[in-house]
Amino acid sequence: MSESESLVFMMGQFPARIPADRRYSSSHLWLQPVGDVWRVGFTAYSVRLLQDVYFLNWNVDPETVVRAKQEIGEIESSKAVSSLYAPCEGRLVRFNEKVASDPTAINTDNYETGWLYELETQAPLLDAREYLAVLEAGWEQTQRMIKGQMNE
Amino acid sequence: MAGQKKITVVISQAPGRNPAKRELEEELAAALLVENEVDVSLVPHLNDLTADHSGLLYLRRVPGDVVILSWLYPRAARWILDRNGVKGQMGISLLKSAEAGDDEGIPAEEEARPNAIGALEVPKRKLYCLDLRDQSEPRVYLDEIRRIAREASVQTVGLDLMQWIGGSPQPAQLQRYLNPFLPVNGAPGPSAAPAAGGASDAGEVPPPAVATTDEPPKRRWYPIIDYSRCTNCMECIDFCLFGVYGVDTLDRILVEQQDNCKKGCPACSRVCPENAIIFPEHKTPAIAGAEVERDANFKIDLSKLFGAPSALEIAAQERDTELVRDGRDAVGMSVGVPKRQESKPAGPRDALDDLMDDLDKLSV
Repeated sequence: MSESESLVFMMGQFPARIPADRRYSSSHLWLQPVGDVWRVGFTAYSVRLLQDVYFLNWNVDPETVVRAKQEIGEIESSKAVSSLYAPCEGRLVRFNEKVASDPTAINTDNYETGWLYELETQAPLLDAREYLAVLEAGWEQTQRMIKGQMNE
Repeated sequence: MAGQKKITVVISQAPGRNPAKRELEEELAAALLVENEVDVSLVPHLNDLTADHSGLLYLRRVPGDVVILSWLYPRAARWILDRNGVKGQMGISLLKSAEAGDDEGIPAEEEARPNAIGALEVPKRKLYCLDLRDQSEPRVYLDEIRRIAREASVQTVGLDLMQWIGGSPQPAQLQRYLNPFLPVNGAPGPSAAPAAGGASDAGEVPPPAVATTDEPPKRRWYPIIDYSRCTNCMECIDFCLFGVYGVDTLDRILVEQQDNCKKGCPACSRVCPENAIIFPEHKTPAIAGAEVERDANFKIDLSKLFGAPSALEIAAQERDTELVRDGRDAVGMSVGVPKRQESKPAGPRDALDDLMDDLDKLSV
């Protein structure tokens, strides 16, 4: 598999592209090395579930040391509201200010200009194949969770 | 209209100096002052009032139905009042949040859940709690207040001033409650301050107390128990390591030392299996007393997918933060973690189990 290839996970009829040129976390974020840090953004799987992002808010400052699962912000979209959490322990170096003020790029260009923040971390990460395995293992459960919430 | 029973409207003012909130409060007060069927009063933010605050002394003496306008979820306002001896049935407001959809039905009568222990000695009169965050137009509130005034029952119930705290307090608990800043076994404090507007003896209808002259109260942070949900399971008293909870003479759970509570920490609320513990000032609506089951502005919560820790993990983390801040050792998940997890029968293996095993294998 070359660096430029992508894997695809079928969410029903929707093909979620998983580029092989980067790493992933099980919380549906991609991480790509940029200099000494990892640039972090939403995977196509996340964006498909979120749909149009209206609002993004970070509640920690740049240069904050974060632990895994620490709440760092909130997101609201046409379909969902959610808190956002650090994918692993590390230091949150900076946020993508452009996306923070206008989150459109999360929908239009999630794997490039729609990145969210840069993180310094030594934590182990998934490769594209491993992330695909996570998606395959979790898809039934995710559908059930969403349907469950809608039927509450 | 001569002879018609008046309804009391109490506006509980927002803490701080938000001009938009002040304007809404003042417009409502001004409009209600000239209404014939309404007695209007202003008190500070309900959450922040101490038991001997004149605003609460006034509220305890108001007979009959009361409309309370506050910057709180109705459940939070109703149970703050209950704790403070301002008791009554929850009145049903038809007011909807501006964001709520039109398909939202009329809310059902408040009903204690089957296993809930319920509030004690609740008189028949009604407390209508309206959330001032729902709408920005004073007219909407005025229309609703007029509607409530029309439907208001006329019966009044004398309130025993000692029938508060949701049960039968032990003498020392009563003392701590009335004098929250005294040492536990300290000398009795001064007797309660006179009610706002020099209100007369209990039993008489007090004059309207527009604008109290007290200093704005200090911000407070403490849990409120919703006894229509609480089952007295004692998970909260087991989990909290700061001595906030106690039991009364009937062995009912109560918030005994509310000022032992750690500002910003809602851990016990997350541990409560009935979502019966309200922190009125918490940013998460479900913890601050929102009716989570009836959220018309429905959106999916993807937090779990995005890596949210479980409620128990959060609660233990929050508790550890406060323990360390007090110079004590963090205890993680080793103390007071709900027993209900142990007795829970293992369900059949499902996709989530497989997913979790796969994640473990990947050591992420």
